[in-house]
Amino acid sequence: MDSLQGLAYGFAVALSGPNLLACLFGVLVGTVVGVLPGIGPIGAMALLIPSTFSLGPTTALIMLAGIYYGSMYGGSTTSILVNVPGEAASVVTAIDGYQMARKGRAGAALAVSATGSFVAGSLGIVALMFFAPPLAEMALEFGPPEYFALTLVGLVFLSGIGGGSKLKSFLMVAFGLLLGTVGMEPISGLPRFTLGQLSLAQGVELVPVAMGLYGIGEVLIIAERITGVPELIRVKFRELFPTADEWKKAFPPMVRGGGIGFFIGLIPGPAAILSTFAAYSLEKKISDRPEEFGKGAVEGVAGPEAANNSATAGAMVPLLALGIPFAPATAMLIGALIIHGVQPGPLLMTQQPEIFWGVVASMYIGNLVLLILNLPLVGVFASILRLPQYLLMGLILLLCLVGTYSVNNSILDLYILIGMGGVGYFLRKLKFDMAPLILALVLGPMMEKTLRQSLFMARGEVWQIIARPIPIVLYSMAVAVIVLPFLYRMVKKQSKTRRHS
Amino acid sequence: MSLRALPIVSLSFLILGIAYLADNSRLPMGSAAKPGAGLFPLLVGISLLGLSLALFIASLKGRGISEKDQEPFPEGKDRRRVLAVAVTLALFALLLNPLGYGLCSAALMAAILRLLGLRSWGRILLISIGTAAVSYYLFDFLLGVPLPKGAFLS
Repeated sequence: MDSLQGLAYGFAVALSGPNLLACLFGVLVGTVVGVLPGIGPIGAMALLIPSTFSLGPTTALIMLAGIYYGSMYGGSTTSILVNVPGEAASVVTAIDGYQMARKGRAGAALAVSATGSFVAGSLGIVALMFFAPPLAEMALEFGPPEYFALTLVGLVFLSGIGGGSKLKSFLMVAFGLLLGTVGMEPISGLPRFTLGQLSLAQGVELVPVAMGLYGIGEVLIIAERITGVPELIRVKFRELFPTADEWKKAFPPMVRGGGIGFFIGLIPGPAAILSTFAAYSLEKKISDRPEEFGKGAVEGVAGPEAANNSATAGAMVPLLALGIPFAPATAMLIGALIIHGVQPGPLLMTQQPEIFWGVVASMYIGNLVLLILNLPLVGVFASILRLPQYLLMGLILLLCLVGTYSVNNSILDLYILIGMGGVGYFLRKLKFDMAPLILALVLGPMMEKTLRQSLFMARGEVWQIIARPIPIVLYSMAVAVIVLPFLYRMVKKQSKTRRHS
Repeated sequence: MSLRALPIVSLSFLILGIAYLADNSRLPMGSAAKPGAGLFPLLVGISLLGLSLALFIASLKGRGISEKDQEPFPEGKDRRRVLAVAVTLALFALLLNPLGYGLCSAALMAAILRLLGLRSWGRILLISIGTAAVSYYLFDFLLGVPLPKGAFLS
């Protein structure tokens, strides 16, 4: 199936009644959780995975993907109106967006951010459509050693370039892998580390862990301080139209941001967040008025907002083409696919084209819906923030508890949820990154299986697993990610001492 | 507390790693050509042990525990509030089966509302009972999640 045929087929799938509804519902939920503090796309996806049991896998994925990119729209709203980013990916937007709002250009900032998201989101989907099929075709040749290399190197990249302490990030990888080994072992079915608990034989599930770390952990942090309702900048509908000059300034950053975002999205790591920083510094660098940045430059809103949206499309490439998630949000998507009995991998596109093309087409529709939805309704979404903190947090906690319980009707899952909430609270306070933990939990079983298959194939000769064309390139890249920063620091130190002497 | 948090956390991971490796020693290791169920956990356990040890030593040397490496932990009333929220959650899990969803969810809501600053008992009662009823209807009837009814009702 070529791209256009595939896309036409995808639209037929995505426009069918239940799928269209799922898309609408997904982007709506995404926008709301993007606005809300305390619950983000990961928590919301975890929450809704159980309720997709009765839906088909395509419908489920369309809905969950909608939450993912929908949250990118919602996050910018609060950045601009209250200087409180709803999501980490909207932190940069707050810099110039809030300044624009204080100058009375809140409406324009919101419109530019929504349009930028739409332009870049659409660009990203086009790129996804052309990148993913050839990659999947290539991946058909991949054996266990290639898959093991991809997953291992993906985790190294994620921890190595995520920012913050690398030691802490790698520790989170190990902890996630450890949690992933609990339960029945993938090849012989032997129970491991179950502490004699029969219900642990199923393993530590993704939903309670993700919801504990991202939902409960966050609520516990919010509970440290009782805050009043934030003050919102009111936006009138007729203020939503940027001036011709603002449009002219905003359009090129949207396209550039879209490009950067997509390629950063392909790399394992907190792609959406990194891409906003990259886009912002690029815009500042090439601007002929860099002094305006930080004081309400429209480019500083357009570029990053575009970038985080196309990064979500980029992050979908390894997921749909290889069946490997490299971002926490796509890990949730793969979790959903597995629950629905779909085998993710390069064959997905040919064997179940309705999933791939249906999801791609639904992303077009979803982005359009978000654009239409966000402009006139922005005031409504922002007013969610007027709900008092106690009510919001109470509801989020209750949703986390019931959502987790509903997966297996298991009290043990509730304990895992609450335990992970406590762990998440402490680790977040100590600035551990949660993304490597979640990804390691999801990738762990795949890594173990491919490692053991590889060793079996190579009759125990480790070198034979490494010295293959694709793995060796990947491993060298991983070594570079670890070693280069050290070298850089050493060279810098040396040049400093030389200057001193 | 704040300054000791990282050594304590890394030490906990260290202990977890030791316990994990100890439990793993019961599993068949297999050979390199035919790896058993214990091989991958062995690699994971050793990594966890090494990394947590490195972090523990670094934190004892005073690295990674400055103000920019962590957020301050709450004290006094604020700390008690966080703890109370955590205890409320644990009680919910503990009592869900014996007391049933309706009672537990109403009690959870009431506790959270009160803890996070809603003062009027009338409103607390209204919101918590309302939430319990609406959420029960939503999950049990609409989404088909079988919620525990509790020993009293069944």
